Order: sequence, then C-alpha cells, then structure tokens
Amino acid sequence: MAYLRMRGITKLYPENNVLANADVDFEVRRNEIHALVGENGAGKTTLMKILYGLERADRGYIELEDRPVHISSPLAANRLGIGMVHQHFRLIPEFSIAENVVLGIEPRRRGLFLDREGAVSRVRAVIQEYGFSIDPTLRVRELTVGQMQLVEILKILYRRVQLLILDEPTSVLTEQQIHRLFQTLRHLRKIGKTVIIITHKLGEVKDISQRVTVMRGGRVVAVRETAQVDERELSRLMVGKSVSLQVRREPAARGRPVLELEGVSLLARGQDHPLLDGVDLCVHAGEIVGVAGVSGNGLAELEDVASGLRRVSSGRILLGGRDITRLAVRELRQRGLAYVPADRLHRGSSLASSVMENMIIASHHRFLRGGVFRRREVEGFADELAANFSIEGDPRVPIGTLSGGNIQKVILARELASRTDFILFSEPTWGLDVASSEFIYERLMEIRRQGLAILLLSSNLDEIMSLADTLVVMYRGRVVACLANSAEVTKELIGEYMLGLREDRS
Amino acid sequence: MKRWSKWSQLAVGTAGLAVTVGLSFLIAVALIFLLSRQPLNTIRYFFIGPFTNRYYLGNMLNSAVPLVFTGLGMAVAFKSSVFNLGGEGQVYSGALVTTVICLALPQAGGYAGGLAALAGSLACGAILAGLSGFFKMKWGTDELISSFLISAAVGFIVNYFITGPLDDPANNLLASYAIGEQYFLAGIFPPSKLNVSSGFAVLAAAAVFFLLNYTHTGYEMRMCGLNREFSRYGGINVSAYIVLPMVLSGALHGLAGGLAILGTQHMAVKEFSFGMGWNGIAVSLIAKNHPLAVIPAAVFFAWLEAGAKAAMLHSDVTFEIAAIVQAVIFYLVTAQAIYSAVRRRRVRV
Repeated sequence: MAYLRMRGITKLYPENNVLANADVDFEVRRNEIHALVGENGAGKTTLMKILYGLERADRGYIELEDRPVHISSPLAANRLGIGMVHQHFRLIPEFSIAENVVLGIEPRRRGLFLDREGAVSRVRAVIQEYGFSIDPTLRVRELTVGQMQLVEILKILYRRVQLLILDEPTSVLTEQQIHRLFQTLRHLRKIGKTVIIITHKLGEVKDISQRVTVMRGGRVVAVRETAQVDERELSRLMVGKSVSLQVRREPAARGRPVLELEGVSLLARGQDHPLLDGVDLCVHAGEIVGVAGVSGNGLAELEDVASGLRRVSSGRILLGGRDITRLAVRELRQRGLAYVPADRLHRGSSLASSVMENMIIASHHRFLRGGVFRRREVEGFADELAANFSIEGDPRVPIGTLSGGNIQKVILARELASRTDFILFSEPTWGLDVASSEFIYERLMEIRRQGLAILLLSSNLDEIMSLADTLVVMYRGRVVACLANSAEVTKELIGEYMLGLREDRS
Repeated sequence: MKRWSKWSQLAVGTAGLAVTVGLSFLIAVALIFLLSRQPLNTIRYFFIGPFTNRYYLGNMLNSAVPLVFTGLGMAVAFKSSVFNLGGEGQVYSGALVTTVICLALPQAGGYAGGLAALAGSLACGAILAGLSGFFKMKWGTDELISSFLISAAVGFIVNYFITGPLDDPANNLLASYAIGEQYFLAGIFPPSKLNVSSGFAVLAAAAVFFLLNYTHTGYEMRMCGLNREFSRYGGINVSAYIVLPMVLSGALHGLAGGLAILGTQHMAVKEFSFGMGWNGIAVSLIAKNHPLAVIPAAVFFAWLEAGAKAAMLHSDVTFEIAAIVQAVIFYLVTAQAIYSAVRRRRVRV
C-alpha cells in the first residue's frame, strides 16, 4: 500500500544539540501528492534530506515498495528513482536549459566530447513527453523564476525519477506561476509520479495535495486526508495554538513626506535596459508603502539604492527634504538610516560574530570613551534589546547559532533602536515561521503608529496587501502601478501588474 | 553556564592540539630512529637540548622575539581578512633602516637614537605593506600578490646596501658596519643574547590583543575581516580597513627587523632575517590568530629550531634530517590549526 515508508527516523545535530527529527514515521502512497507542512525548524527539510541521501539518520530505516533501502547519497537516491528540487535553485546561469538538465549524465560523442545537439534533442523529447513548452536552447540567465523551477523539475524527470521532492517550491513564485506549477504537478501525478511538497502556505496544501503530514518540533503531529482538514486546523496543528493570520490595521495617519525618490535610474554595464528606470516614489510619515514585483524587476536594486549601498545613475533621493543622493552609508547611518535587508545572513548579520557585536554594528560609536568600548554599556544595550524583543540565548554566542527567526529579531531590534523617521524593510518575513512573522508584523504596525515612514519591499503578496497603505508594483525597473490599498485591489490585479500585463504609467 | 561552555570549548580545542603535537612528536621520534645511528642522543638534544643550559635557553627565547612580532603582524592581517605576504621584505628592510639610522647618528644618545631607529623600521614596514593596501583600495590590485612582489624586490635593494655602500671591509662578512654600542639593547639573561626586546614582544602582544578586542578600531577591523558586506551595511568605512591592517601588519614586521638589529645582530648581516616573515604566518596559524597565543606559538617554533640546531651540533643528524623532522611536526600542527580554524568558521544556521 505504502510506496515509501520511513520509520523511527531520528537525527541529532550535535553542533548545536538540536534534535531535528525525533522518531519520525512518514508514509507516502503511490501516485499521490503529499504535503509536508510545519513551521521553520520543524524538521521537514531534514527529513527530506535524509530521504535524498544528503544527511544520514542516526536511527531509523527507509523502505521503498516494501523493500528496505539504504540511501547514502543523492546519486543513490536518483538510482532508486527519487529526485529533489531544492528551495534555492542549483542551476548554472550561463548554461542553456539543455546543458543544465543533462549536467552530470551528459550524452557524449566519442566518449569524450559533449554532444550538444544530442543533449538538446533528448531534453526536447522529455519536454514534449511531459507536455511542457519551453525552448531547451535558452540560457538559464534569461529565464523567469518560474521557468527556472521548471528546469529543476526537468532535471529530475530527465533522470527518470518516480518520486519528486519539492522543498518550498512556491516561495519565489508569483500567483500565476504557482498556478502553472500546480498544473504541472497534477499532470505528473496523472501520469503516475508521486510528489512530496514541503510548504508553509496552508492554502497551497488544500489546493494541491491529497494527504498532508504535519510536523512540529522534529515530530510528526498529524497525518490527514487533505479533504478532511481545514486551514484553521492545519494552522493549529502546526503551531500548537490557533494563530490568526490577519493583521489589525488602523487607518493611516499620513504625515509629511519623508523619503522621496525623484526620477531615480540605475544603469549597469551589459544590461540592455536600465535596472531602475525613472523611479518616482514617496513615503510619508505614518505610512507603509509596499513595493511588489517579481524578482529581477528592480526590487533588489531599489533596496540597494534606497539604503545608499549603490549609487544611482541619475535622479535624486531626499530624506526629510534634504538631498542624500551622494551620501555614503556611513553618513546615512549617522543620520539614523534604519534598514532590514533581504539578505539577512550575509548583509544583515555577521554569522561568526556574537549577537552583541551584531547588535552594535551601526551604533558602536555611542559606546566609546577615547576609542575604547565601555563594556558595561554595550552589555546593557545588548541585554535590553534581547529582553525587549524576547531574543533567546546569551548575547555572547555567535549569532549563527540562533534560529532564522531569532536572527531576524536581532536585526530588527538593532535597526529599530536607531533613532530615525524612516525605515526600509526588504523581505522581512521571508522563510520565517508564522509566530516570527506575526511578531514582525506587530512591530511594523507599532512603528507605523509612532509615525515612522516605512518602505516595505516584499515578494509575498499577502504580506504587502495586508500591511501596506500604498501599493507600488515594479516591472522591468519601472513603477507600473501606485495604488491606495483598498478592498477593490485584488491579488489577481497586482499579479497582472507584476507580470507586465497592465501598466498605469502614461 | 554559557561562560563555562566557552571554556570547555577552549579546553577541547587545546586537547585537540595537544593530541596532534603528541602524534607529531611520535612520528618525529620514529623518523629519528630511522635516520640517526644514535637515536637516543639525537632525541635528547632535539627535544631537551634547548633547555640544558642558560645559553641555549636564552638564545632560544631570543629567537622567538622576532617571531612574536611577525606572528602578530600576520594575526592582525588575518583577523581583518587581508593577506600580507611581504613579511620577509618588511622585516629585512626594517632592519636596514634601523642600521642606517644608527650609523647616521653616531653621536646621539642611546634612548633617543634607538627610538628614532625603531621608529624608522616601523615606518618602513608600514609604508611597504601600506602601499599594497593602498593599491588594493585604489585599483583593486590583489594585496597578496603585490605585497609579495614588493617584498621580493625590496630584498634585492637591501642586499645591495648591505654588500655595497654599507659593507664593512674590516669584518670579512657580508654585513654592514656595526652600530654604536650605546644602541645595544640591554641583555637580561647572560651569557645568552636574550635582551629587553623580549619584554617589548610581550607588550606588543598585549597591545594588539587590546586593540582588537577592546577598541573601536579593532572592532571595525574584525567586522570587516569577518564580513565586509555587513560592515558596509553597518556604515563602516570598509576601504580604510583594507589599508589600516596592512599598515599595522607592516609596522609590526618592520619592528621585528629593527629590534633584531638593536638586540641581537648589532649589524645588518646579509639575509640574516631569512624565514622570519614566512615563519610568522605559521606562528599565527598555530595561534589561531589569537594575539596572546602568538607568544607560546613563537616559543614553540623557536624551540623546534633550537632543538634541530642542537641535534646537528651534538649528534649525527644532518641539516636535512633535522629539517625533515621539524617539517613533520610543523605540518601536522599547522594542519590542525587550519582545520579547527575552518571548523570554527562553519557556523550552522
């Protein structure tokens, strides 16, 4: 009956003493789409890594079609017909789709040379066989995120895989792309494949899966037929208590303009169109301006420009009426720039440094006497932030030992401690669990009440639509929509702007 | 409890190092049994030789002094993630500058002249290394290559001065004139050459430790070393922290050369400082770039060096065999140091 059976899987990470999987039993039936859900750190990814041969379980065993199997590497998993699409794509941008797909098992000519035509024709055959439509000679660099994901799926289909594992496949996709992906998955199921999909998003579970396994704290807490549970119950199972996903939002008390971008453009060598193309944007005090856009359409560049990390090619940026276009980050920081970056593990924190050292990066000038730190004050500051933001653990341990949610809390605490009237958020809840996200939403609402001007860049439409007062959509480096948030603005509408099907600019 | 875990980590690290050292000694002993006809004698001189009398012991400690300085120089650079491979030339040219200043001021008092001479060596090293840092900041030149090339070129220039204009025909050596006696640093452990510069070495280690861990400059340096992107985001002037660590590193190297002249050599001998720069890298690696740990690491290095010399002098081992035994111990210990350094970097997210 069961196609795949994992029994008593236990995995301890001794480095930080985390029991990622505790005696986990997991079963998948043949030819079903099985959702594996849970908060961050619930152990979903670890379980799948064990199944895919990337991690070794300390205890437990795996049976495939009632035969015990030993999966020591991804290669062994492939041989058994198991393939995995990782959350972060593992593609070579300079290679064509065909070259990426055949990588590792390339067709060869005279045993030595890559047979390019052979690769293209074989990949084309696979594309046709599964009913996709994409040109295998395109370079991966030129693809949309949704297409890249398709290439990842093609990679494992090319290897004749029966069981597909997808780790949070929708986190980077737009509504339409998700829709397309789900069609693909349903199609794969119809032709006899089995799919395991890891996700945070409960709506998707209902939409795509037949059965669902819920994990919490390294254990399986429930296995259900999807048709027989609702989202509220899943949410309760996941977090252990009922969590409302709705944010309380009072009407905006819009004040004076704080951050203004006037005709900001950013050009880059080797790009046929500007990365930012005459962007006009204004954030008022007490207002959240939410910017949405598919990745590659200027959000990342807007983040760099607004934070002063990248110089604009033309245009002006004003903060409180004063021109800050040419100022270095150091000067912006002295004026109280607060910024929660999307890349929180590399830009937002220094993983090998202590929590305390991470907390004072922008404000350490405040704790000096004659160039020497006043230790006690630094420690007091760190303890205060840790207490206010309920950050667990000793501030003297490296920040890299904390969970993703706690790292983000440290960053948030640090940036909010800066005395400022403008704050830039980029992907503040990306990859975080429900509880951590809610914590961040509450803080956002709190500082909005205090009259800060907030610029929120996010690829999570739900987040933008429930938080922002003004919605801005970017497409190919341009602002294509700037709407006051209201009930009439729908997700589908924003999606159309994001994909360039609609544009307000004259 | 958290504090305790930090100590226990340190204990585990030290235990690991001890095991490697023990293992490498075992291999060294095995090698000696294989290669020497009087192995027990060789072993005795190799490991215990440096402790058998005041002269050996003092000289061993004295030869650790320049290694402390070059080791600190490398530690400062490594902590800031810049690479100074020009240590050799910086030490050598620092020594030359000190010699020249002492020779040029024969009438000056011991303290003032000596300070001027040391300041010269310090400035010389700082400028040489700082140049590489400046090039990196200005044009993105790889400081690893440029510092090495500058240092190699400087070596020839120093050689020219020592064997040319400064050569003393009276001493029959490839060496300069001797500096005035008023500049000699006071010996503290006669009859050995150990002198007050060993005290300076300890002070320097303490100063670097303080700078890195307690000051604003040290914090910014370390942060830039660990994550430049994060530092820039936090508003640190990151380009300054390419130049500054190079300048500091060069200054410490130059000082190593200057002190070797005033304390030990009393004249610039051709290629006397050969290896001090490279060995500084090894010392820093063993010390895991910890400024205070640089002192025992340098002494360890000096001990192996002195042991090899004693074994060559008193037993039948040749220079090659001594070097092989030394190398085996060294490779293992450094490998362990690198390994744990890499392991510490890999923090789980």
